[in-house]
Amino acid sequence: MDREQYYNGYMKKTHFLGRLVSVISLALLLGAPFVIGMVLGALPDLGAVARGFISVGLVWTVSSVVEFLVYTPMLGAGGSYLAFITGNLINMKIPCAMNAKELVGAKSGTPENEVISTLSIATSSLVTILVLFLGVLLLIPLQPVLQSPVLQPAFANVVPALFGAMAYKYYRKDPVLAMIPLAAMVALFTLVPSLTSSTSFMIIPSGALAIGLSYLKYRRETRGGAEK
Amino acid sequence: MTVLEQLNSGSLYLICGAIVAFIAAVCVIFMVRAWRAGKALGMDTVRMKRAITSSATFSVLPSVGILLGVLALSGSLGVPWPWLRLSVIGALHYETQVADAAAEQLGISLGSGQMTTQAFATIALLMSLCIVWGMVLSALFNRRYLAKLQRGGGKEKKAGGFGDRAMAAMFIGMVSAYIGSYVGAFISGQGAFSFAGDWTPLIVVLVSALAMALFTYLAEKKGIAWLDNFSIAGSMLCGMVAAVLIGR
Repeated sequence: MDREQYYNGYMKKTHFLGRLVSVISLALLLGAPFVIGMVLGALPDLGAVARGFISVGLVWTVSSVVEFLVYTPMLGAGGSYLAFITGNLINMKIPCAMNAKELVGAKSGTPENEVISTLSIATSSLVTILVLFLGVLLLIPLQPVLQSPVLQPAFANVVPALFGAMAYKYYRKDPVLAMIPLAAMVALFTLVPSLTSSTSFMIIPSGALAIGLSYLKYRRETRGGAEK
Repeated sequence: MTVLEQLNSGSLYLICGAIVAFIAAVCVIFMVRAWRAGKALGMDTVRMKRAITSSATFSVLPSVGILLGVLALSGSLGVPWPWLRLSVIGALHYETQVADAAAEQLGISLGSGQMTTQAFATIALLMSLCIVWGMVLSALFNRRYLAKLQRGGGKEKKAGGFGDRAMAAMFIGMVSAYIGSYVGAFISGQGAFSFAGDWTPLIVVLVSALAMALFTYLAEKKGIAWLDNFSIAGSMLCGMVAAVLIGR
C-alpha cells in the first residue's frame, strides 16, 4: 500500500512538472524567433507564417494528434512529456524506449515501465544534446570529415539502417502477420510512387492494418482458449 | 556583415544555447526523479542501469545522424538555429522540409543566397509553430488520457494482454510503411515499373536486418547477453557501412 501511495505521489508531481516544463518550453520555442528577430532587426512576416502553416502545418497537426494518442501509452507520463519536448520520436526515442523496456522486461502501463521509459527517454535526449553540443563545438574541424562525399551515403541511409534492424526484431515475432502490411505497402508505393514523399503519413494506415490483423488474431486465440 | 554571418553571431548562439541548456536541465531532473522512484519502488538498480546504458549506446548513432541534419541546414540558416531546432522537439525527417516550405511561401529557396533576416525570422517561427502540437496536447491531455487508459484497462482485463501486441503490431506497420516506400521508390520511382530507382536503401535494410539476425543469434543462442545493448546500433553501423561501400 505504501508503495502505491508513493507511486501516486510521484505521478502527481510528474504531471505537474511535465505540464510546467511543456508550457515553458512552448513559450521559449515560439518566443525565440521574435527575440532573434529583434536582435537581427527584422520581425517574422506573420502573413507568410499563416500561409505556410495552412500549406504544411495542418498536415503535422494531424500527425501530432496521432503521435500523441499512440505514443503516450507506450512511454508513460514522464517519458512522453520529455519525448514531446525533445522530439525525434520515430527515428530514435520510441525504438530506444521500446528497446530498454524489452531489455529489462517491463510491461506497458506498470510503474516499472514508467520508470524505465523516463530513464530511457531522458538518457537518449541527453545523449543527443551532448552529441549536438560537441558537434557544434567541433563543427569547423568536423565539417570536412562528416561532409566528405565518401560518408554521405551512410548518413543518407540512417533511417533504412534503423528500419532494417527493427524489421528483423519485430517481423520475427509474427512473420505471417507482418507479410500482409508489408505486401500492402509495397503494392501501394509501387502503384503510387509519389506517396514516398509522405511515408511518415502512411504509417497510419499501415499501422492500423497491422493492429487490426493482430487484434483479429488475438480475438481468435483468446476465444479458442475459452472454448477449450 | 552577411546575413549568414549575422545568423552565426554570438548573440544567436547565446539565445539558442540557453534554451538547449534549459531542456538539458529538465532531462536531468526527470532522470534523477525516475531513478529515485525506481529505487523507492524496489526496482533492481542493475536493470535500471542497463536501461540507461542501452539507451545511451542506442542514441549515439541516430544523434550523429541528427548532427548531420544541423550541418545540412547550417548552410542557409546558420548553425545556432538548426542546433536548437534539432535539440528541442525537432525531427530530422521533416525539419528541412518545413524550412523549405516556409522559404517557398516567401518566394525564395534555401541555400540560394537569397536569405534575408526577415525571411529567417519567418522560417524560424514556422519551423517552431508546425511542430509544437505534441507538446501542447501533452500539456493539456496527458494526465486525463493516461488515467482513462488505466481505468479502461482495469475494466476489461481481457484486453490487457493486447496492449503489448498492439505496440508490436504498430511497429510492424511502421517498418512495413518504410520498407514498402523503399521498394516502391526502386520499382516505380523513375517511372512506373521501370526498376530504375535507388536501390541503396533496400540493400541497407537487408544488411542491417542480417546483422541484427546475427546479433540476436549470438545473444540468444551463444548467451552473449551484453551484446544486446549494441545490437541495434551495431546493425545500423553495418547497414551504413554497406551504403558507403555502394557509394551512392
